[in-house]
Amino acid sequence: MGGSVVTFSHVCKRFRLRETNDTLRDLLAHGIRRLRGRTKHEGPSSFWALDDVDFEVARGQAVGIIGPNGAGKSTALKLLAGILRPDRGELLVEGRLAALIEVGAGFHGDLTGRENVFLNGAILGMTPAEVRRKLDAIVSFAGIEKFLDMPVKRYSSGMYARLGFSIAAHVEPEVLLVDEVLSVGDAVFRLRCLERMRKLVQDGTTLVFVTHDLDQVRSICRRTIVLELGRIAYQGPTRDAVGQYMSAMSRAFADRPSDLHVQSHDRHGSVELLDLRWLDADFAEIVWLRPQQEIRAELSLRLARPIRSMVVELNMRAAVEEPLLSFNSGRVGRMFGGDAGLYRLTLTLPALPLSGGQYFWNARIWDAVNGATLLDTPFRYPMVVNDGGKATGRLCLDHHWTLESTEAKTSTPQSQGEMAAGGVIGENLSIR
Amino acid sequence: MTVRAVGKNTLFSELPRLRALLPVLTWRDLRVRYKQSLLGVGWAVLLPFSMMLLFTFVFTRAIDGASLLGVKMPYPLYAFAGLVPWTFFSSSLSNCVNSLVANRNLVTKVYFPREVFPLSCVASALVDFVIAMTVMIGLMAYFHFRGDWPFTPTRALLFLPVVLIVQIALTVGLGMILAMANLFYRDVRQLFAVVIQLWMFVSAVVVPLPRDDSFWANVFALNPLIPIITAYRDCLLNGHFPDGGGFSYAGLVALLFLIFGWISFRRAAFRFAECI
Repeated sequence: MGGSVVTFSHVCKRFRLRETNDTLRDLLAHGIRRLRGRTKHEGPSSFWALDDVDFEVARGQAVGIIGPNGAGKSTALKLLAGILRPDRGELLVEGRLAALIEVGAGFHGDLTGRENVFLNGAILGMTPAEVRRKLDAIVSFAGIEKFLDMPVKRYSSGMYARLGFSIAAHVEPEVLLVDEVLSVGDAVFRLRCLERMRKLVQDGTTLVFVTHDLDQVRSICRRTIVLELGRIAYQGPTRDAVGQYMSAMSRAFADRPSDLHVQSHDRHGSVELLDLRWLDADFAEIVWLRPQQEIRAELSLRLARPIRSMVVELNMRAAVEEPLLSFNSGRVGRMFGGDAGLYRLTLTLPALPLSGGQYFWNARIWDAVNGATLLDTPFRYPMVVNDGGKATGRLCLDHHWTLESTEAKTSTPQSQGEMAAGGVIGENLSIR
Repeated sequence: MTVRAVGKNTLFSELPRLRALLPVLTWRDLRVRYKQSLLGVGWAVLLPFSMMLLFTFVFTRAIDGASLLGVKMPYPLYAFAGLVPWTFFSSSLSNCVNSLVANRNLVTKVYFPREVFPLSCVASALVDFVIAMTVMIGLMAYFHFRGDWPFTPTRALLFLPVVLIVQIALTVGLGMILAMANLFYRDVRQLFAVVIQLWMFVSAVVVPLPRDDSFWANVFALNPLIPIITAYRDCLLNGHFPDGGGFSYAGLVALLFLIFGWISFRRAAFRFAECI
């Protein structure tokens, strides 16, 4: 690609697993051991955080980098920013670069908001004159006009993050690197940040955006790279990359069932959740879910003592902390009871019209007699939905579109286009 | 538009960035140091001044040592002229030692030439030095008008900037080595705290060193700070140029430290973020 602004060619980066010699005493001890020829071998001493990663970003393009934790996303960004140096390979960047690896990195708590704008601006590469010119814009974008002369140590974490992002968003770099920083701040501010990033890209900024939030990638980046264990698993159109990533996730779940269905020993001890599995209508375990698929949750429970009556609740939320679904047996008048022993509890659900992504469930059980909590697991039972990239947002509903003319001169619709979710727009669609 | 190979910046290519950042970080250091403090910049004066009073008391009242010291000028002048450059040296270095580790957040999250950290430590201590030097002028005026030690301006005063530059070169070189060493081995900071205490007493700051031909006198004579601190007194108070041989030696040592310190700092800089 002739117009590429960012070039990653065959980049490898290795990290040491063990702590390096951090005190002189360790160094001496290590040296003596070596002299005596007694170097201990404790398995591999390093791992490849990035292994032969090769990609290019064209001018003005927005590229997303997604992948599970530890895939090397942040390492890639830190290499681009120059914070780390690759062990092999070469990186080329053309033009002025600003990296937002952490909002407000370099803020000093004792300094006021205004002072920190100048400090952080300089750190990100702005001249004092530039900061002065943009100060009003930065402050109003962050919405902290009233607190400008207050030390940032008294800022709320939201204000802190807003100011941090706002400064970086006003640097006007040619290449902007953003790492998972939009998880802070409230929803409105997150939206404004995305809006701002989209605007920067429209104005010609090249963007490399690392995130866990598939919606954010979908809304900004046309092209996305999926990293997995330090290698590029896929790169291409965002829609395909997201689908690829989700199926990789569900494969990983299927491969490691022991990780998934961890026994839950509750501190209350009287009810134990041995397993929570998702089954389809034929009672086969679901690897990944399609939005229009009937499912049941099967909970394997062990009662350590007889329980006369209990209420069971299953809750679900997306990666963000918002609750999405909740099924409480008490609300539909179902209580369960039984002697000590093993039980299987099944919840049958209609098709869940969810958009693609990863969701997490927990289970809670109360004693219906005295209201005591018997079981309360963390949100750690994942469910992966693959909608084939049809929808953004949280829901993926069956829908169809029609178009008809409403002008009086014709009594019958001239043309009509229909589509089911994900279908192809009718080719006869014409607007006159 | 220039294509830049990431991680292969030279000092030359980063110089503009360094120049832009140095004043800002120096300002931050000063601002933070004197914020929420009643005396503020007054501490820059108070610290060497109170040390001068302390040593004046010790050597002229508590123990009868003034004659033994062979100091011809009034002792407060002698002590203050040594303490001001010494404070510049020691506070620069003690800030440098911790400069990279204390800015861990910046080192691991943002890239810019890392030299800024030790350099801004020296620069902010230099500001304190300049302030303390104005008090030095007051002290000299006091003894001039009392007639104890009359001041006559000579051409040697013009040599003061050279003395200062040599001291800065030595401090920057050492500061870079210390900052880098402490990043890899945290022992350096503890060790430094001990060494800097001892160093003061072998640098002719408050007591002149014996000039006999003993083994230790010869070892101490290698200390490049002795000619530097003596040079301040010679130019400012004695009205003559410093001893050529001794001062050239200090200049040479300073230059070597600066070159060696800066080069090794540069070579290690790319490992800072992962080793910190």
